[in-house]
Amino acid sequence: MAPTYNIAMVSDFFYPQPGGVESHIYQLSTKLMDRGHKVIIITHAYEGRTGVRYLTNGLKVYHVPFLVIFRSATFPTVFSFFPIFRNIVLRERIDIVHGHASLSNFCHEAILHARTMGLRTVFTDHSLFGFADAASILTNKLLKFTLSDVDHVICVSHTCKENTVLRASLDPLMVSVIPNAVVAENFKPLSPSENPSYPPPARPLGPHDIITIVVISRLFYNKGTDLLTAAIPRILENHPNTRFIIAGSGPKSIDLEQMIEQNVLQDRVEMLGPIRHEEVRDVMVRGHIYLHPSLTEAFGTVIVEAASCGLYVVCTQVGGIPEVLPSHMTVFAKPEEDDLVTATGRAIAALRANKVRTELFHEQVKTMYSWENVAVRTERVYNGICGAISEGEFYGYCEGENAGGNGNSWSATRGRSGVQSFALIDRLKRYYGCGIWAGKLFCLCVIVDYLLFLFLELWFPRERIDVCPDWPRKKVRKDSRRE
Amino acid sequence: MAPPSGLHQSAISSGFEKPFPALVRSSTVPASLKSHRADPSHLAPEDAYTPISPPRQPGIFDTGADTRPRHIRRNDTSRSRSRRRKRFQKLLWVKQSYPDNYTDQATFLENLQRNPRVQPYDFWPLVADSTVILQHVCSVIIFIVCFVGIFQERVSPVSVVGWGSFATFLGWLLWDWWMTQEDQTSAGESGDMTRSMRDGRIYREYRPPRRQDSTSGPSLHQPLAHNISTASISSTSNLPSAASSTTNLLQYQHRPHPTPHQHADSNSQNPAPPKLLTPGHSHSRSVSSVHSVTSQNSANSPTSTSTRGPIHDSAPDSLPNTRAYLRVSTIKSAILIYFTLLGLSPILKSLTRSTSSDSIWAMSFWLLAINIFFFDYSGGTPSHISGPHKTKKMPVASLSTNAALMASTVLASRLPSTGQVFSLTLFSIEVFGLFPVFRSYARHKSWRYHVLLTVLLVLGAGGGVGIILGEPSATTWPWKRGLAGMVIGCLISAVAIGGCSWWLIGMQKYKNEIYGPWDPARPIIISRRHWDDD
Repeated sequence: MAPTYNIAMVSDFFYPQPGGVESHIYQLSTKLMDRGHKVIIITHAYEGRTGVRYLTNGLKVYHVPFLVIFRSATFPTVFSFFPIFRNIVLRERIDIVHGHASLSNFCHEAILHARTMGLRTVFTDHSLFGFADAASILTNKLLKFTLSDVDHVICVSHTCKENTVLRASLDPLMVSVIPNAVVAENFKPLSPSENPSYPPPARPLGPHDIITIVVISRLFYNKGTDLLTAAIPRILENHPNTRFIIAGSGPKSIDLEQMIEQNVLQDRVEMLGPIRHEEVRDVMVRGHIYLHPSLTEAFGTVIVEAASCGLYVVCTQVGGIPEVLPSHMTVFAKPEEDDLVTATGRAIAALRANKVRTELFHEQVKTMYSWENVAVRTERVYNGICGAISEGEFYGYCEGENAGGNGNSWSATRGRSGVQSFALIDRLKRYYGCGIWAGKLFCLCVIVDYLLFLFLELWFPRERIDVCPDWPRKKVRKDSRRE
Repeated sequence: MAPPSGLHQSAISSGFEKPFPALVRSSTVPASLKSHRADPSHLAPEDAYTPISPPRQPGIFDTGADTRPRHIRRNDTSRSRSRRRKRFQKLLWVKQSYPDNYTDQATFLENLQRNPRVQPYDFWPLVADSTVILQHVCSVIIFIVCFVGIFQERVSPVSVVGWGSFATFLGWLLWDWWMTQEDQTSAGESGDMTRSMRDGRIYREYRPPRRQDSTSGPSLHQPLAHNISTASISSTSNLPSAASSTTNLLQYQHRPHPTPHQHADSNSQNPAPPKLLTPGHSHSRSVSSVHSVTSQNSANSPTSTSTRGPIHDSAPDSLPNTRAYLRVSTIKSAILIYFTLLGLSPILKSLTRSTSSDSIWAMSFWLLAINIFFFDYSGGTPSHISGPHKTKKMPVASLSTNAALMASTVLASRLPSTGQVFSLTLFSIEVFGLFPVFRSYARHKSWRYHVLLTVLLVLGAGGGVGIILGEPSATTWPWKRGLAGMVIGCLISAVAIGGCSWWLIGMQKYKNEIYGPWDPARPIIISRRHWDDD
């Protein structure tokens, strides 16, 4: 019988707010519960949603009242989350605290407090950060603080892993790459029965058939809307029988609208405005090509969704995007206007020449990305940090080397079976290395946190905290347990 | 930033297997932590089962499982071998036969770039560049010295403003002479190598290179004369003056001329206006459009002259008229400013009567500090050091001039008589408004002028400080103190310039810029629309 864990997912970002991190947490939690674990979610209170909620599949969500400052990230008060966090953790008998998203203050605080309380912690990074601007420097320092004492880190792509390792000075072996996934059932290509007036091309696309290019993205600078604005007139000029559908909103939409008016393209570019995530598929299946001009992207779930809908993907070669899809589904472009136009031209030519088997994409994507797979791989991380897998197997090196007495300070902080020890002095050692000033500051924070923990143990003793009954756990299917 | 173009191809196309050493912790931790492999003469524990082999050339060895890292799992070697058949790929859609936290040494951080665009400084160019700052600091010091002199009634305010105005007039004459000379030079021998330095600079930076020959050809002699004069005028209007209202003395001259934008519009009817890839800078655009006219043919010259202003639109060779007109308008605006100040002086005199002097000293100190720190040292026009990418004007340059003028206003309000107030304010306009324009122009004109000006300023500032530090004595002129001040000023400025340059060069070794595929790509957009550049 595989060990099962009580897992708390902590993030500022969760439903009812839509978004990629939110759906990631939800899908992962659901699949982990299917595998017999107990999962709760701790997030901050959204408007009209405070307290404890059960989602339909028994997923329990704690909406903790907290001051929200910017784009639903909470105000960073290092310690004020501790009392209620401790209460929740003890009530739910949590073993593993799993934080998400590096901009979420909740996640960082929870990891710090969980380590103080002697819990295993995992962090999932969903985004890429540079190293140059002031905001990044601050975020990176905070991330270094939190990740100085985390058991394992999960990144959504190899690029993201490199970035996180550099940002937080981590051992690359304690960073796993587990991609996002898509629910392939929600992104099926159009079936003939669904809409008879719009049959999928049973016959090859002729040179005069209309090819529709879909763009779904928030219209921000980061998403490459400037490139899009520059490229659309040229693409439409070069290829007469094409049109665009653009969904999404943002500050750059005014540029797009101006471009449309300037070039009189109202009949060839359709702007849908903001759409809900459920409607994404319905928009996607109206097109043949998905254009993704983003300038930075950790994973790019939307291009997987587009490929799953049977669209040929044209995307810029930035961030983690080149890792996501096989080359027969994508045309890569440099983030330059000229190259984007040529790449789109190549994609249109390939579609017209009928070289791309887009009808097969859905099944292929389905085998590549699934949340079950993500849950299995995440479970392996949990096993590794909790000691269910031996250190040698998990970290890919053997203990003999470690015990060889080479005085490697890197592994000296590791305690039993490859997981980091909870002793305060070991933790302080790890935090101290964060920087000349920051290291001392962080140590101070950790000590205060520890004192707070002792105080809470005295003032609100563990015995006085009710243990809540669990939602009935699902049976683990034996066959799904593969390593 | 280099786009991460190689990422995908390298992962896909390099079908051959690169030999990479066994995955051990020591090989994946950062380099500083590889402590236990530091001494190659000692055996490490993994030496027992991993033969240390030099890296082999790709393609000459077998691709079987034996070359796979076979080291790590002694317990389940067979399982490991069967699983690690395929090479690690940096892809997410492939079912890898490696654990998720596997770190491949051949590809991990392969796209990391460190300091890709750093260019090391050289000592002497750095010292030469820092003289600009020295000049400005010295002129601020001279202003303070003059104020103290007036305040302590050592110097007659009339003499200060008289000499200052005289120097300004001389500077203006010099500037005017340069301009005329330059116009003639560029009009007369435009194709020659004897083109003045400033012209050469404009041509080099603002014109698409391929048009150079056609423009400077002798057949285009006549229209070129007009257009060059327009170009030079519109470029001078972008001198650092720009900042505030007081500098309209110079800008006044250009008011009858069309703004750069009008130029661009009026020239857009030409069949093939060149696309210049300098977004968001109207100055460069105006010059480029002027060149576009030049490069068309002489038939376009009436178009361009007609846009130039109401005064001289009909004259075919309006060069002398232009200059005369500019001179008249300059004198007009100078007189205007003079009398405005004269009228304002009684008001300024009692402006801060209710404020204590201490507050005024502190306030003027901070204002002058703001002036020094936010001054536009780039010189407005691109110098030979800063490239064409740095031509963007500092957005806070006007803050600098305004702070200086406010400082002079509050300082002037400490003075007891109207004449003193008027003198100091006029002097401050000359020092903070007009002098920087002249300085930057002199720097572009000739290096020798620049050095000469710097030396004069340092001597003046040092001597002035030396003089006002001593007790006022009515009998003798304290030339000894002045001389000592000059010497000390020279020493201090030399040490400061040299020391700061040396320090900056020394700090370069701490530079550690990291670039990689995670950085947001910089899009290259060619056909910028109108609304993008402002």
